[in-house]
Amino acid sequence: MLGSGSTLHRVRRIAGIVLAVLLIGGVVAAVVAGRQDGDKGTATKTVRAVIGSEKADFFADPDVVKALAAKGYTVKTETSGSWAMEGLDLKGFDLAFPSSQAPADAIAAKYHVRQPLPRPFYSPLVVVAHRSAAQVLAANGLTTVDQHRGVLKMSAYLDAARHDRTWQQLKGSGKYGELAGTVYIASTDPETSNSGALYLAAASYVAQGGKVVASNADVDRTAPLMRKLISVQGAQQSSSDAPFRDFVSGAGNPLVLVYESQVASLLIGKQDPGDLTVLYPDNTATSDHTVVPLTQTGRDLGELLSTDPALRRLAVRHGFRPQGDAAEFTAATAPYTSYLNQTLTGVRQAPVPTSAVLHEMARRARG
Amino acid sequence: MRRRLAVLAATAALLTACTSTQDHGDKPEATAPVPGTLRVLASSELSDMTPVLDQVRKDTGITVKPTYMGTLDAVDLVAKGGADQAYDALWLSSNDYLRLRPDAAKKIVSETPVMSSPVAIGVRTDAVARLHWKPEDVTWSRIEQAVQDGELTYGMTDPARSNSGFSTLVSVASALSGAQSALTDADVTKATPRLKEFFKGQKLTSGSSGWLAQAYVRRGNVDALLNYESVLKQIDGLTVIRPKDGVVTADYPVSTLAASSAGTREQVRRLTEALRSDAVQKLITERTYRRPVVPSVRPAAGLDTGRRRELPFPGSRSVADGLLDSYENKLRRPSRTVYVLDTSGSMRGDRLDRLKKALIGLTGDFRQREEVTLMPFGSDVKSVRTHVVSPADPQSGLTAIRKDTDALTADGDTAIYTSLEKAYEHLGGGKDTFTSIVLMTDGENTTGAKAGDFDAFYRGLAPAERETPVFPILFGDSDRAELAHIADLTGGRLFDARQGSLDGAFEEIRGYQ
Repeated sequence: MLGSGSTLHRVRRIAGIVLAVLLIGGVVAAVVAGRQDGDKGTATKTVRAVIGSEKADFFADPDVVKALAAKGYTVKTETSGSWAMEGLDLKGFDLAFPSSQAPADAIAAKYHVRQPLPRPFYSPLVVVAHRSAAQVLAANGLTTVDQHRGVLKMSAYLDAARHDRTWQQLKGSGKYGELAGTVYIASTDPETSNSGALYLAAASYVAQGGKVVASNADVDRTAPLMRKLISVQGAQQSSSDAPFRDFVSGAGNPLVLVYESQVASLLIGKQDPGDLTVLYPDNTATSDHTVVPLTQTGRDLGELLSTDPALRRLAVRHGFRPQGDAAEFTAATAPYTSYLNQTLTGVRQAPVPTSAVLHEMARRARG
Repeated sequence: MRRRLAVLAATAALLTACTSTQDHGDKPEATAPVPGTLRVLASSELSDMTPVLDQVRKDTGITVKPTYMGTLDAVDLVAKGGADQAYDALWLSSNDYLRLRPDAAKKIVSETPVMSSPVAIGVRTDAVARLHWKPEDVTWSRIEQAVQDGELTYGMTDPARSNSGFSTLVSVASALSGAQSALTDADVTKATPRLKEFFKGQKLTSGSSGWLAQAYVRRGNVDALLNYESVLKQIDGLTVIRPKDGVVTADYPVSTLAASSAGTREQVRRLTEALRSDAVQKLITERTYRRPVVPSVRPAAGLDTGRRRELPFPGSRSVADGLLDSYENKLRRPSRTVYVLDTSGSMRGDRLDRLKKALIGLTGDFRQREEVTLMPFGSDVKSVRTHVVSPADPQSGLTAIRKDTDALTADGDTAIYTSLEKAYEHLGGGKDTFTSIVLMTDGENTTGAKAGDFDAFYRGLAPAERETPVFPILFGDSDRAELAHIADLTGGRLFDARQGSLDGAFEEIRGYQ
């Protein structure tokens, strides 16, 4: 047999430690700059950064390496779950670059970093669906759909979740054999992964009638529903990459929570999206990629990422929305407006609880 | 006959996996890292990826050196730290079970799925016609109904040892429990009566997909196999059906390990990138019938592209292990096994001690309702002692087996064939059980019936009796050709305890019982 059972509770609690261990042996994408550009004479500054994994492709992009080198930087990155960074010893790093503001604020407080923190780019959470699922949701008043995109009505969705609504109960689902079982959005594990945690942030905000979860009483009140949203999913993946890939390959769940940047980078990279429909929750959380400078070099790099036109363009290539002027994102995604809601019309940003509150929500949701 | 040949050819790759799992025993040798070579701990069923890995080597210069192992055993090894330093990457059919074990999950840094294959049922084409099934409409309840009506029998791999068996079990339990979301302990309890009926239809069990396919062809009277679509597609004469009400899909993630160096992880990333390139994805789907994970490559011809519901995998280890536990001890047909044990003079001393230790170790693994017969032999069978592990009091049966094992003594000649004949006579027909004979000998046959006598004896058995396979274990000075012949004749499989350990061989055979 495979050993004794009922280690579930311990499993979940250990997750935080797990991530810390991951970082210690973390991925080092040593990026050697200064070769391609012919600027051999220029001394480059080596910057050490701990980053959320969804930015690993960006920093590994040879054009990004080149653009950084042109400004005199060699960036060495290690990846870590954003929510695990605050538990790490960041000595020797120039910056931490989590995918959310809440963990960034927690790290900034711990290391007495002065605000404001540079936030070079962001990306809202979206739900990807195949056309069949999107149309059934639309027919039942849970979404609006226009070509390949739509808006998901979160309160209607949460209502369905509260009542354990199944696909079979939704009208029009009969034609699609794959639409069966409880209607749920598949997310990543909220205890280890940023997108899973942000899902709880948005859902709890809506569940409380547009009020961010701030107290123990709020956590208690929302816990049963949050637990339901997570437990129906069974095993969850630990990063948003795998579920998106499963979705694109036609396997996996009908509704999957991903970052808009994942979809945008697929489209900008001219890959075939199949019959993918992008549903923007009407209340969604945004992944604010926030730099926590730990040294002056770190702060300089954070500013550079925010302001350098070449780096902003490259961020767009990876699907991110640069902070401030929307022109670059709008231009690059102009051919894909049937998929992407460029102006986020009808989408409200749900505020994210503090790191401590969100941790507690995630822990209780995983049960 | 033509079909048999086709199947055997198709499963040759799978069978390679079985052979290699024998070689490493339970503790694979740690080897030093070599630049450009990645030591990958991989699920056994990935042995059919050899042509794909050859292509990757041409494209990238990266040589993958795989060590094949059952997925659940591999998870166990990772959890215990046995993969640290010994391997550069992990490549399992699925990380679902690994994720339920924090001690294993913490060893993984990143995972990238590189292909997928859903659980499916492969039904003999004539049986599809007899059942009047339209493949696109078949549901798990339809399959269940056919089993209840006595119209459908099937084989599957052992869920405790093989990921395909485990995924099948989760698919069946989710579908038949009526659970609308991830399985809970309550769902499993509720579904138990229906599952019990369902598993009455299981006529074949196996520790590996390769042997399952082989036994299916040999048996000829089993209607279907439950396994991954990719495995079933490689067997001739099966109509492969993905039940309409949902399946569990393997997504074969390549995982990097926390214990590796950054340089190694970069190599693994390059390997993953190469596996996900359009050309390689095309090769994968065309060669192995797995599904591509990039939208630009279409699944191989013959793979139905209709969507299926993905059944959620249990979110906790208590549910997953509880399901396995109930399968082993309550749901599946019990096994009846005769252990034909050489205790001739040559076994005296160390060899007998090792046999005793291995058998006593095995008592921790016997399932409830299992009937175990110890048949030690020398110049003839010395004694026949049968014990049942009763659900009411499992310990008393196990204690009795240990006691009998302790009392074994070594003397006399080696009457292999005479003893085997007596084992067949003891077992008789199947009686709704999985019957098998394990033969452990350290030498050649020296007395009693000869090989030819045994062949004639076996051929004279009733068809139901001939369904009992012999699993011989090579040990000490036993004769490989002699034992291989016994395995071939009876549809068993040869296990080698000379390279690995006797404990390991006994343990591996459990998957086939």
